[in-house]
Amino acid sequence: MSILSIESLFVRYGGITALNGVSVEVRQGETVLLIGSNGAGKSSLINAVTGLVSTSGGRILFEGRDLAGIPSAARSRLGIGYSPEGRRVFRSLTVRENVLSSTLGLSRAAAEENFAWACSIFPLLAERAGQPANQLSGGEQQIVALARAVSTLPKLLLLDEPFLGLAPVWIDRISDAIRELQRRGTTILMTEQMARPALKLVDRAYVMRGGEVRRSGDVAEIREEALAEEYL
Amino acid sequence: MVTFVSAGVIGLSMGAQYALIAIGFTLIFGILGVVNFAHGGFYVLGGYLAFTLSHVLGVPFVAAIVLATIATAAIGYVVEIVLVEKYVVDHLATMLITLGFYQILITAIVVFYGAEPMDFSFPITGSLRSGGIFVPYSNLIVFVVCGAAIAAVYWLVYRTRYGIALRAMADDGPVARSQGIPPATMFPMAFAIATGLAGLTGALVTPMLALDPHVGEGVLLKAFVVVILGGMGSIPGAMLAAFIVGLTEAYASVYLGGSKGALVLFVLVLVILLVRPQGIFGTEARKA
Repeated sequence: MSILSIESLFVRYGGITALNGVSVEVRQGETVLLIGSNGAGKSSLINAVTGLVSTSGGRILFEGRDLAGIPSAARSRLGIGYSPEGRRVFRSLTVRENVLSSTLGLSRAAAEENFAWACSIFPLLAERAGQPANQLSGGEQQIVALARAVSTLPKLLLLDEPFLGLAPVWIDRISDAIRELQRRGTTILMTEQMARPALKLVDRAYVMRGGEVRRSGDVAEIREEALAEEYL
Repeated sequence: MVTFVSAGVIGLSMGAQYALIAIGFTLIFGILGVVNFAHGGFYVLGGYLAFTLSHVLGVPFVAAIVLATIATAAIGYVVEIVLVEKYVVDHLATMLITLGFYQILITAIVVFYGAEPMDFSFPITGSLRSGGIFVPYSNLIVFVVCGAAIAAVYWLVYRTRYGIALRAMADDGPVARSQGIPPATMFPMAFAIATGLAGLTGALVTPMLALDPHVGEGVLLKAFVVVILGGMGSIPGAMLAAFIVGLTEAYASVYLGGSKGALVLFVLVLVILLVRPQGIFGTEARKA
């Protein structure tokens, strides 16, 4: 069953076309990867799903519901979690406050319960709960961004370049965290330029270039494609 | 020593007033990115509402202050939704809109009340005299009420999930929206809190100082100084800077003469900004 269907999506920034009729599907329980170099349109697609950029054509269906006209905050409350490119943690907030920031729509008890759940996946959160996020390393900030995105127990998690700028040891740790989320049943749509570690985590992948999907298929197919060499 | 202590208490009282005004001003800037030129107008409005309630309608002074605060907050809420919300991303437009609203508000006050100062006085007179220390009761009351309001705002912003959402919105608006924090709720609420604080300060302070349609202009200027000194958008910065300004004014007035207070203050602010252009708690400064 499809949880997210993106149909012939167009995104334009002034005269520049960032997405040119892109179609992507994510099914319940699977992890799907968008790979491509800078400017391929990966982040534009993610931002269109979150509602942070406007679309100029096509449809985004989440659980069969057209997201057109639904503001970004309301999309989050429908069950779309989002970890942005470059982490973008709230720098002046503590680790605990960062995680709780996404739980405004929940009761206090539910928010605390979800924070405890996030701590069970990311032990770092409990250790650094009171520390300002701007004092964390890049890898630690990525953990906080991930925890913030999953603390509402989203039906779909959007991960935009979770390995960006991280040392190999942190890529392994983030990969472990993503696997743990998968074990707990989280459906994930992620983007990444570093295809080698990302392809180990996903069920299917779309190769993007110039705002279009050039190839799609399961991991084995994509890996075997000559195209994959560009990104590996 | 006695003079030093008396001036210190008055300086703290002034600092508390400035803090309330500046916290609201910086809250609106930090969360909405709007420089609210109407902020001084809400101070004036609070004063006139308290005057009308207490001196015209006979409402007890304390109730008049509470009602004036609630009314200015409610008006601020409506102003944000009706006038500011649609143009919130356009800094120039919001500056012009708030400036225009200020002019309309002040003109309306002149039409209804006239341009002359109102005969609005603090109901409690007299001074605390102890060991040669001389402090008017009005200053002490204003200090206590403003201090309580500052503590309440601090609790709201730093100890509640609503405050977390407000600070997240100030930190990174788009990401905050993507995490389920709705600007349609947060923006008017932040505006209402800020204008309510300005209204409270006006209701409390104008009977002690003066109430005429133009007292808000000096207040806006002082809020600018405090917020820039503290760091634009920083609530702790605004609090600290407000007390620096209040104490500087008080001590300079006592020891150097009234007219030199403002001079000393602006020299001090200039020196601090030369050393730290982003303000005391600011994080960024634009370089040439």
